[in-house]
Amino acid sequence: MKRILTIGIILILGASILGGCGANNSTDSGKGFNLDKEIVVISREEGSGTRGAFVEITGIEAKDELGNTVDRTYEEAIVYNGTNQVLTAVAGNEYAIGYVSTGSLNETVRALKIDGVEPTTENIKNGSYKIARPFNIATKGNLTEITQDFIDFIMSKEGQEIVSEDFIAVDDNAAPYAGSKPSGKIIIAGSTSVTPVMEKLREAYLEINPEAEIEIHSTGSSAGMQAVINGTADIGMASRDLKDSEKADLDYMAIAIDGIAVINNPANTIDNLSLEDVTKIFIGEITRWSHIK
Amino acid sequence: MKKNFLEKFMAIVFFISATASIISVILICVFMFTGGIPALREIGLFNFIFGRKWSPSNVPPSFGIFPMILGSIYVTLGAIIIGVPIGVLTAIFLSKFCPRKIYRYIKPAVNLMAGIPSIVYGFFGMVVLVPFISNVFGGNGNSILTASILLGIMILPTIIGLSESAINSVQKSYYEGAIALGASHETAVMFTVVPAAKSGILASIVLGIGRAIGETMAVVMVAGNQARMPNGILRGIRTLTANIVMEMGYAADLHREALIATGVVLFVFILLINGIFLILKRRMN
Amino acid sequence: MNKYTKIIKGFVILSAILTFSVLLILIGYILIKGIPHMDTSLFALEFSTENLSLFPAIITTLMMIFLSLLIACPLGVFTGFYLVEYAKSGNKVVEIIRLTTETLSGIPSIVYGLFGLLFFVTALGWSFSLIAGAFTLSIMILPLIIRSTEEVLIAVPNSLREASFGLGAGKLRTIFRIVLPSAMPGILTGIILAIGRIVGETAALIYTAGTVPQIPDNLFSSGRTLAIHMYVLSSEGLYTNKAYATAVILLLVVIGINGLSSYVAKRFSKENVNG
Repeated sequence: MKRILTIGIILILGASILGGCGANNSTDSGKGFNLDKEIVVISREEGSGTRGAFVEITGIEAKDELGNTVDRTYEEAIVYNGTNQVLTAVAGNEYAIGYVSTGSLNETVRALKIDGVEPTTENIKNGSYKIARPFNIATKGNLTEITQDFIDFIMSKEGQEIVSEDFIAVDDNAAPYAGSKPSGKIIIAGSTSVTPVMEKLREAYLEINPEAEIEIHSTGSSAGMQAVINGTADIGMASRDLKDSEKADLDYMAIAIDGIAVINNPANTIDNLSLEDVTKIFIGEITRWSHIK
Repeated sequence: MKKNFLEKFMAIVFFISATASIISVILICVFMFTGGIPALREIGLFNFIFGRKWSPSNVPPSFGIFPMILGSIYVTLGAIIIGVPIGVLTAIFLSKFCPRKIYRYIKPAVNLMAGIPSIVYGFFGMVVLVPFISNVFGGNGNSILTASILLGIMILPTIIGLSESAINSVQKSYYEGAIALGASHETAVMFTVVPAAKSGILASIVLGIGRAIGETMAVVMVAGNQARMPNGILRGIRTLTANIVMEMGYAADLHREALIATGVVLFVFILLINGIFLILKRRMN
Repeated sequence: MNKYTKIIKGFVILSAILTFSVLLILIGYILIKGIPHMDTSLFALEFSTENLSLFPAIITTLMMIFLSLLIACPLGVFTGFYLVEYAKSGNKVVEIIRLTTETLSGIPSIVYGLFGLLFFVTALGWSFSLIAGAFTLSIMILPLIIRSTEEVLIAVPNSLREASFGLGAGKLRTIFRIVLPSAMPGILTGIILAIGRIVGETAALIYTAGTVPQIPDNLFSSGRTLAIHMYVLSSEGLYTNKAYATAVILLLVVIGINGLSSYVAKRFSKENVNG
């Protein structure tokens, strides 16, 4: 036991010294931002709802001469499979550019203005900020009483208020919840981006209706839609528009609007891009910050 | 009579338990291959393995995993270049140069290294190693080099553990003979004992290769994950494992099957490496 | 000659220092970043998006350990019995068992995850659940338990068995009364190592046990272990700091498990010397 303790103490002491040095070194970054450096483009993985919406709106995804739809994302773009990884990477690299849901923005990164428009709730609502997508829920066939009641709650005044804490409500003038509070169990599956807000909705709903039981699986948009089609989940969550094959089988509706913010490092001197430049950066036509007009 | 029956019965129970590992391997093979084959049939084995373009959401999609195969190989090679010298030398240190007092602290530390979850390594790599590489070597930090260093660190305990026991099991007479011929402690260890432990050390390296090629969570966080042909040590790369874990969550239909097929390719790689390891181990004994 | 000697010694010591300092930096970094974010709300009984409690994840981890060991321990230990006490040497079956065990121990966890998804989750229809995760993990830790049991059984001196037979005890009685007790610490070390693997596992569990942050109420409901909790927190943008805190807890658990196993191993080697 004594030995383990000693090891522990040595480890912590040694580590704090080394860690301390590391911390000092990193503070002197931020000086001397050099516009001639290469842009570090950061994207999300194929199939991600955020990427799907982003490439569609910015025109990164386009038809080629043969009429095929091609995602032209820059080959050298770093790919991460999580919002947080994108945030951490952009915060840690002065020359990086990435995109995340506006609901996840924090002070370590800067949200760029697009054509001079900031990604605020208002601008997204009135359509002047272009890069936004719906958060959808999908169901199949006849709903159980409890599922219907929970959906009523999401679309009610209370539900939309919760949504608007991080995202943008689809209905500002929703009526207050007046459900029958039935008992039963709901299984929800789908998008990792929608999951946090769905967790909050669940908590609020359970307070009103303690009889209900709700299980949320954070599996990804496509897997969620698949689960509803198979009948293994009652409600599916998607952070993108439904595909045609999914639309054929499912009923769906938007529960929130989420802006996608294009982010760069606060040390960068550029805080505004045209939508066209965003596209050019993400397909690799512009590779240096100084090439932006 | 009753006792005799129990003896027999338990002997059978033990035997059946012993077949569990055989059954598991068979199940894994059957389900992996049947899971991957539909995609292989639809895409075509050659197009799948040697295709250079991976863009599953294009219409029509293309599923080529050649860049990922190369990625896995490059990153593993890098890990070996970094991890093996350090690992083997550390094993020599632990076995032949380490004062007993220090050994008592270092050995548990090496074991601890083996126990740290890969997700913790990955997190560390992303927040410490990536900026470090970017500052020192340039580039954006998410690179073959970074992934190699991180994997090199992660395979250290495997290499150290196996190499150390291989060196320890070399007969004393080798060492004593060299000393008797006038060699110093260092040269006796390096030029007689270590060569005698060759096949054991080689086995440790092969096992390290297996670990490196199969590592998932840590690599995803530092490798950059670009699904294109590798082009430079300071540029990023996507490995087979990263391909699976990144896209599995969102994938549907053929895309999903193609990811399972990626798992099959990885599995075949692992089986090959395991085979080599077993042969080396046989030779060592 | 002298120059060589110095260079060799220098390299050897340098490598050892390098290895050790990497570990120091790693642990130090996690502790420094994580400890400031530890607070009592992390251990609240119910998970909510407010407190992001670790508590359900800890309970799920414990359940996962218990279930996996429940499946893998008897299988692994019995396999050890068969290999050492029953099988004749040179037996073909024994060789196949050895081969498959080695194969299992080399398969990476992501492949286990895919297999679990295809077999337990989809083919057997268990969906994302505790039990699907536990079965997947138990296959993964099986080789560890088999190997440690086998090694320790071989180390039990034959004189003990012969004495027991001589006194008229049957094979079964000898195994359970004589061999097993003296092999116990060795088996325990194997089990502790297995626990370490379960605690740190992510890739094999994401697609089998799922990611629901509540305590699972039966075997067929989904739950997330600590490592998965950390993975989810670190990939959803909102909670980086909590991910650091979770890493600290994970690290402490791993250090604890390591300490425990070296303690057991030490006691075992002492007993061996005395016996």
